[in-house]
Amino acid sequence: MSITTTGNLGPMILQSLAPAMLYVPTPTMNYITVCDKVSMPANGGTTCRFMRPRALQPPTIQLGNSGIDPPAQVPQRDIIDAQMAFFGTGCIINEQVILQDQEGVLAWVSERLAVAMRQAEDLILRDYVVSAASEINAGGGSNGDNPTNLGISDFSLVATTLDTNNAYKFMSGIEGMDRFGTGPVRSSYFMLSSTELQSDFDTLVGSGFLSQWNYPTNASALPSEYGAVNNVRILTSSEAPVSRGSSAKGNDIYYNTVLGKQALTHINQDGFSMNLIYRDPYYSGMLAQNATLAVKFAQAQAITQDTAIRNLLSTRLSNLGV
Amino acid sequence: MTEYSRQASGSFTSTGAAKAINLPFAPNRIKLLNYTASAAFTDHRVLSAEWFSGMGQGFAIAQVRNTTYQSDSVIANGFSTFQAGLSLQYGAKQQIIGATAANPIVFNVTAHGYSVGDIVTFEGLYQSATTGMPQIAGMPFVISAVGDVDHFSVVWPGNGSNYTALSGSPTGATVKKVLYPFLYAPGVSFVEAITTGTTTTVVTTTPHNLLVGAEVAFRIPASWGTVELNSLPNVVIPGSAIYGYVVSVTNSTTVVVGTKSTGFTAFNTNQTVASVPGLSFPQMLAVGDVNTGGASISAGSVLYPPPVVNGANTINGPAINNAFVNNTSQGFIIGAGACVTDTAAVLVGANANVIYWEAFLDDIVV
Repeated sequence: MSITTTGNLGPMILQSLAPAMLYVPTPTMNYITVCDKVSMPANGGTTCRFMRPRALQPPTIQLGNSGIDPPAQVPQRDIIDAQMAFFGTGCIINEQVILQDQEGVLAWVSERLAVAMRQAEDLILRDYVVSAASEINAGGGSNGDNPTNLGISDFSLVATTLDTNNAYKFMSGIEGMDRFGTGPVRSSYFMLSSTELQSDFDTLVGSGFLSQWNYPTNASALPSEYGAVNNVRILTSSEAPVSRGSSAKGNDIYYNTVLGKQALTHINQDGFSMNLIYRDPYYSGMLAQNATLAVKFAQAQAITQDTAIRNLLSTRLSNLGV
Repeated sequence: MTEYSRQASGSFTSTGAAKAINLPFAPNRIKLLNYTASAAFTDHRVLSAEWFSGMGQGFAIAQVRNTTYQSDSVIANGFSTFQAGLSLQYGAKQQIIGATAANPIVFNVTAHGYSVGDIVTFEGLYQSATTGMPQIAGMPFVISAVGDVDHFSVVWPGNGSNYTALSGSPTGATVKKVLYPFLYAPGVSFVEAITTGTTTTVVTTTPHNLLVGAEVAFRIPASWGTVELNSLPNVVIPGSAIYGYVVSVTNSTTVVVGTKSTGFTAFNTNQTVASVPGLSFPQMLAVGDVNTGGASISAGSVLYPPPVVNGANTINGPAINNAFVNNTSQGFIIGAGACVTDTAAVLVGANANVIYWEAFLDDIVV
């Protein structure tokens, strides 16, 4: 008896494409989420200028009965300038790829370009904040490094600093509810932190850290929100800035950016907030062989309230198990 | 004809130090011609050189004149490309053998490879659990002098009584180069010295990138002394931040701020080793400006010069002086590496040599 097997009668076509593309691991983009957005008009030059009036001295001295006016005050203001910069990237795709590939190459390359652009926006903001915001080294942890790992007192200190500076909080509190395991959440600033610190936050449960899962309601929680400590709600991302091996003891330093409203501003220029550009092969060369897909955008950034933002630098309590 | 290749050319007058060339691309092929040395038939000069990306970073094939014309090569600090787009990138950690407790602090690191102007940070500067100079670990410094291939200096009052010298290659004592230190400017600078008076003179550990008219804020932790400069608290107008303005720029690491600081608490760098866990550093940061114009023109400049960061033009268009600007860039570096055979010949040429270069990014590399 002869049995016909795939060894002598194999499929004519060995593979078929699974019905859906696999996901592309993409970090959450927290900086762009929490910054103010401003659009600079077209034909507005190269530089966006912000103006913040200064407070006038409160007239706490009584006029008395002399009938003479007190001296006038001179109003002043602070000016912040940010220069627009342009960014872009693209792909050149030969028409044979478009013609012969079984998948819609132009569609998914367009999607990738758009995500790359959004990630660039976030990374630019991230690195700008690293360079331009003042720093506090955590000292409330127990690992003896400089900075130390994050302790409850560090959250308290940075929130107190921002409160004392009259920064505006992002979120109103979440009122407590009669649900097991939940607790109220204070009105809060945001802290943009690294996913690598989540295990450290977990060790603070019972000391003041409240997991997002233990909020009375998750209605106002952001997708990347890990939890809250005192007046700080923590957003985590795998692309948060880390200075590898840079602490006093040679450990990784994490830049935990704590900020209030209007502390950080993202500026685009009218018409250049995002352009996805497709050029048909018709426009390339004598034989019209290559299509191009590209994105470009204009972006500037500024710390618009320097008193409402701090980089709280920390190390980690223990090594990651990765 | 190539459709998407990139090519660029230019010239500069060498200072003898490595030269970075900003381009809209990172090339895969570079050519160099030392016009001055070639025209004068100068001995011990690289007359021309080439590099292909396949040779690896820091390499170059050179033609030198050493009585006769000879082929030679540069195997370190030759041509290299760079893409400066993300911060917090560092060179390799190097073991610190020793350091002087003096001002400036002289570090002993075998074949450190650093140049004056490089930015470095230190880690683990403990001689023992209670001695050494970990007070400055984590702070960036500009290298102020290079004594020899094994020694370099940074300016800091390491002669304070709480600082002790390092010796015998302490475990964990390392230094590394910050590869792209000024991607965005101006920004935060760390303070090395403050002179109080009718104006306030501030010395920073790295270039401050400030111009006259810059508005600055201070963050001086209490243990460092001069807390009166801090933006807050404000006893006159509670809640209103106090800022100062830069009235003159002495050099890349020294500015004079118009704030009258007579009688303020003296600045104190003599921090104890015991205070190190949680020790925050004194900082001066750019928060705005009062300028209305951009960089002034100079001989040979374009009519509307771009902002300057760390002494070099950015690739930007014109902006208001002391605006927050983006300084990301890419291109290539012509290093100051010496040839293998004629060790007196360096790739970037001697001071005042006119260098022509070409750079290419090819469509097809087979």
